[in-house]
Amino acid sequence: MGTGPPDTLRVQTADNVSLGYSTAGVGSRMAAQLIDSTVALALVFVALVAAGGLVSRASTAQGLAWGAGAAAAFAGFVYFGYFLVYEAVTGGRTLGKRALGLRVVRIDGSAPDVTAILVRDVVRVIDLGLFGVGIVVMFFHPLSRRLGDLAAGTVVVRERSTLSLAAATAPPPVILRTPDAGPPIEGIERLGTSEQNALRVFLSRPGLTPQLRAKLAGDLATRLYERLQLPPQAPERMWPPELLIERLYLQLDMRSR
Amino acid sequence: MTVDAFIAERRARWAELENAVKHARRGRLRALPASELERFGLLLRHASSDLAIARREFPDAAITEYLNTLCARAHPLLYRGAPLRLSTVTHFYATGLPRAFRAAWTYIVASLGLLALGFLAGWIAIDVRPDLRASLVPPSLFDEMARGHIQANVPDAPFAASFIIQNNIRVALICFAGGVLIGIPTAFVLLSNGWMLGTVAAAVHLGGYDLQFWSLIVPHGVIELSVIVIAGGTGLMLGDAALRPRQLRRGDALAAAARRAVTLAVGAATLLIIAGTLEAFASPSGLPDAVKLTIGTVAGALLYSWLLLAGRVDWMSWRSSASRRAGTATASSRRSASPSALAPNAADPSR
Repeated sequence: MGTGPPDTLRVQTADNVSLGYSTAGVGSRMAAQLIDSTVALALVFVALVAAGGLVSRASTAQGLAWGAGAAAAFAGFVYFGYFLVYEAVTGGRTLGKRALGLRVVRIDGSAPDVTAILVRDVVRVIDLGLFGVGIVVMFFHPLSRRLGDLAAGTVVVRERSTLSLAAATAPPPVILRTPDAGPPIEGIERLGTSEQNALRVFLSRPGLTPQLRAKLAGDLATRLYERLQLPPQAPERMWPPELLIERLYLQLDMRSR
Repeated sequence: MTVDAFIAERRARWAELENAVKHARRGRLRALPASELERFGLLLRHASSDLAIARREFPDAAITEYLNTLCARAHPLLYRGAPLRLSTVTHFYATGLPRAFRAAWTYIVASLGLLALGFLAGWIAIDVRPDLRASLVPPSLFDEMARGHIQANVPDAPFAASFIIQNNIRVALICFAGGVLIGIPTAFVLLSNGWMLGTVAAAVHLGGYDLQFWSLIVPHGVIELSVIVIAGGTGLMLGDAALRPRQLRRGDALAAAARRAVTLAVGAATLLIIAGTLEAFASPSGLPDAVKLTIGTVAGALLYSWLLLAGRVDWMSWRSSASRRAGTATASSRRSASPSALAPNAADPSR
């Protein structure tokens, strides 16, 4: 399975398959935070303007004081509430995160629950408020987690939806120099699908320099001689390795159809 | 199996899963009927086992990357915590918060100790160095004492209330969140709040205005300081988990402690709405000092009887087990017994 690059979160599913999530970096996280803060502050502004409009209608000084108090209380909670409610409702995808293709998941790959979101949002007070200590922690953490993530057991991951099923399943074109399958090769029944896959990977790999391609073909052919158990005087050994590979591939392809 | 055969055989299932992921609204599968939900789980298990095969057989193929992305997107849709319900919140205030308070009592006592330490230090500082009084205490306090009475200057009570509430909630949340930095900001907030109270109290004591001063503090201060101490306790709990993770990894210990403590901290912080209202309306009002002190005492008695007594008995299971003991296996008692029988924790009243 491999451990993957260092910025990959590995999650073990219930059926013991490991999923790889690529984590979001400091830059995209801060950009998302900037968008969210802007939107939240705009909401606070709208709330204040609306409240101000209501307050100005108050006829008495008493009413004015009450209105101002209520408006200030409301505006104060809008900012914190934006993050809390938005994340709780969408499961950790605020507007800024969505814009940058980010998402909050718990360290075990599950969606964050309300408790985890509450911890993240409360600890944001320290992360952003205390000299931006969270940004420093994020910078040094291998998975770019801030203090709020550490306390909540969450990670922000990148949502990669660019690879479509059609693109992923389109077989890579096989580059053949000759469409001729050639004479039947002795011992081909000894080869299985793993050899076929290897041939296919070799033949569908574009951009190899001729020297490298010839060297790889030579290595591959040496292995194939063994697998085919070709006698030392077999004519196939006289073919150029790349021709052997192409003919083997075509014959195996015909067999598997 | 070649990669083509692998894809051809399973492609339809992946497309179906991808479609279901795309149609999950707001990151949830809530809109799906039960049969499709079951199908979703089946498709995800198929896809993740396909991913395991693809990793082994075709590690470099695009399909392996695709399957990883597909599973990674589908996984959190299926695996998630319980959703928040209103009943969870009311149940939390009725039993969960007092229980969490009692479970965290050592940390809360330590937090109270830090506050008291700051208070004592402030008091002693004023006592030992009276010449520093002017720089440690707001000078307006001395002007007021010279004029013969002290009072808090609160011009617009409703506006002040909202300001006080927000500020105090922020302080309480910093007390909790400071735990992630091994509790250093928490200790600082507790010590400095204690210090401020201590210096002012000592200065007022020298001037001989104790009763007026405490009648300004006590009505809201009982709840307010209790909440700060509780929030400080949760912060110390986090700091302790980060410093001494015991059997767990450090990060896991911190996360576990934060999950236990955050509801206590946030739940306690909501009490500051009551405290802030009292601070703006009752404390500076013209009520007689005795009434103000009574307000504080009653608020404290209510707060601590709730924190120390609520949630000690699980009434649901107590009732059902009592009816079982009485041997009245009527239809109604069986109905009331069944919900607790489903919950093993609640079925045993001794827990």
